[in-house]
Order: sequence, then structure tokens, then C-alpha cells
Amino acid sequence: MRRHTRRIYNICYRFTGNRTEAEDLSQDVFLRVYRTLGSYRSAHGGFATWATSVTRNLLIDHYRRTKRDRITDSLDDKMPVVENKESAGRRPDEQALLGELSAQVQSALTRLSPELREAVILRDLQQLEYAEIQTVLAVPEGTVKSRINRGRIELARILQHMGVRPA
Amino acid sequence: MTWTCDLIEARLSDYLEGLLQGRERAEFEAHAKSCPDCAPLVASVRSLVGEMHSMEELETPPRLVYSILDKTLGPRETMTGWQGFLNVIRGLATPKFAYGAASVMATLIIVLGASGFSLRKPKLADLRPAAIYQSADRGVHLVRARCVKYVSDLRVVYEIQSRLRQDENNLQTTPEQMLPKSSPEKVPGQTDDRKPSQPRQQNRANEITRELEMLAAELPMLSERSVR
Repeated sequence: MRRHTRRIYNICYRFTGNRTEAEDLSQDVFLRVYRTLGSYRSAHGGFATWATSVTRNLLIDHYRRTKRDRITDSLDDKMPVVENKESAGRRPDEQALLGELSAQVQSALTRLSPELREAVILRDLQQLEYAEIQTVLAVPEGTVKSRINRGRIELARILQHMGVRPA
Repeated sequence: MTWTCDLIEARLSDYLEGLLQGRERAEFEAHAKSCPDCAPLVASVRSLVGEMHSMEELETPPRLVYSILDKTLGPRETMTGWQGFLNVIRGLATPKFAYGAASVMATLIIVLGASGFSLRKPKLADLRPAAIYQSADRGVHLVRARCVKYVSDLRVVYEIQSRLRQDENNLQTTPEQMLPKSSPEKVPGQTDDRKPSQPRQQNRANEITRELEMLAAELPMLSERSVR
């Protein structure tokens, strides 16, 4: 359960950029999974794929519901969370630089359109295969590749606009 | 194929993921290097993808798992003190655990018995590796000696029985010669020493056979007593 919780929480956080929302949405995902477990069929892919699909649907629903309220979100909640795994081997200045860069990438992600954002998160942050992303998003593989490509280019342009230089 | 900036942008992810091969890849790189718009785009997207791949997963907040469990399974009580201990004991009282525990105990008893450790008079010295080895060695030799003795006893009995059968066959083949004659020549008071009476010899042979069979039957018991 912890492995699934980790994946779902990371997808929610990367999509929303907000820790509190990510926790709430993760709970909602598990609640929905728990209630609709009877409808799970192995034809939908593995359990992890099905849970990711439920997560994605909830995120899109949440995005549409909160579209109007997004401007008034608290700035404190948008403070990026520093990753803490495998940090011991890096120098403090390197860690600070990487932390800052990933925070900027996270900030740029939240400025992408939801379609492109979810595609880039699933491919580049969750390292899912094209076939699995195709199942989660319920679109053809060509559409998946197109969205990932456009999402990456758009993200690079946003970072360039923010004044972030590539490493 | 003529590569345009739009085409470079459309196939950029294919190039970064190594899906372009041979001439197609070479032409892509040739345009990307020479074009002032495409070169920075390719470099920045390549850097961005590398950065995203190295971004680490976040640890889930500790309270998240518990709150998920509360929302799905409902609030759970935590038992402390004696109640918690009794709960653990109750959890162990399952047939699976009982079978496992019984088989482990049986294995221990067999191993300890084979190693010479006495359960009635336990001695710590019996658990020394040298003592265990000597006990096992003695046990192996004892079993081997008993097996050898049993096989040799069986061989002796077989030989005795085969000889007895042979003797019986010999006796039966000449019955006319061996029958006692009611001879008119027989003088009262005199015995016929030239040809002794067969029935007496036959009775004696039967007695010897019975004695030998009894002896053969008791041989394994005697040898077992001598080994002990």
C-alpha cells in the first residue's frame, strides 16, 4: 500500500504543486479505489495502472472544479517541497542548486495546460511506458507521444521565460 | 527528407528517446546544429528531460497512510499493556502457527536425540560440537554393525536350512533300503546291527532339524544382546 500511496501522492503533488491538496486528493483516490474495487478488471491493466487512472480522473475533476479559485491559492502552500531521497551523497551547494532547479521545474509544470501536464508527469517524472500512459489517459499512442512532445517544448519555453538556464 | 523547424519540433522527443536511426538521425542533427532557432530548443529540452528524470520522488507524509486507513477501514483502536499482549497471543493461536511450532519442536527433539543429548538428564557438555560429532559417529557405526550382523545371521540361517533340505531329500530318495525288515531271521534278543532301523534315524534327524531351527531363530536375539 505504501508503494501505491507514494506514486499517487507524487502524481497529485506534481500536478497541483500544493502539499495540502495533494494529501487530500490522495485520500480521495484511495477512498474511490476502495469503494469501486469491485469494478476493477485485469483487462484495464495492472492494479497500479488502474489506480493511476483513477488518480488522473480525480485530478482533472479537481482542476475543473477549482479553475476559478486558483488565483486566490495561498502562496505558502505553493512553496516547493525539497526531495530528500539520496541527498546524502551531494554537496550542500549542489543540493541547494538542484533543489532550486526542481522547484522551478515544479513551478513551470503548474503553468502547463492539464493535458500536457499530466502527459509529462507520467512520462518524465513517473517513468511510465507509453502503453501504460495510453491506458491511463485512454487516448491513442500517437496522441500520447504528441502531448509529451508538446509538453516538454512548452515547459522548456516557460523555464526560459522564467530566466532558468539549462544545465 | 528535408527537415524544417516545424518537423524538428514535431520529432524532437523521438530524437531524444533514440527512436530516430541512421540517415534520419544524421539529418536531424545536421539541421539542429546549424539552425539558430532549433539548436537552443533541442539543448534546452534535452537538459529539461534530464533534469526531470533525476528529480526524486517525494516521501509521503506519515499521517497520510493512517488517514487513508481511517477513511477506508474506519477508526481502529490501539491496545496497550496486557490487552495488547493478550491480543498478540490470540493472534498466534491459529492452526497454521500450531502446526509450524509442533513441527519445529519435533525436529528439535529428533536432532537432540540423535546428537546424544539426554532430555531427562541434560548436560551442557553434551552440546559441544565434538560431543555431538562423537555421538553421531557412534550412532552411525552402531547402526552399521547391527545391519551387518543381521545380514550375516540371515546367511547362516539360510545355509542351515538349505543343508537340512538337502539331507531330507537324500533320506527320501532311498526309502526301500532304509525300511526295517521284519525278518524271520531275526532272533529274539538279537539286534540287526548291519542295517540300523531308519525310523529311529529319521526321528533323530527330525529332532536335529527342530533344534537347529530353534537355534537359527534365536541367533539374531543373541547377537543383539552381545552388541549391547
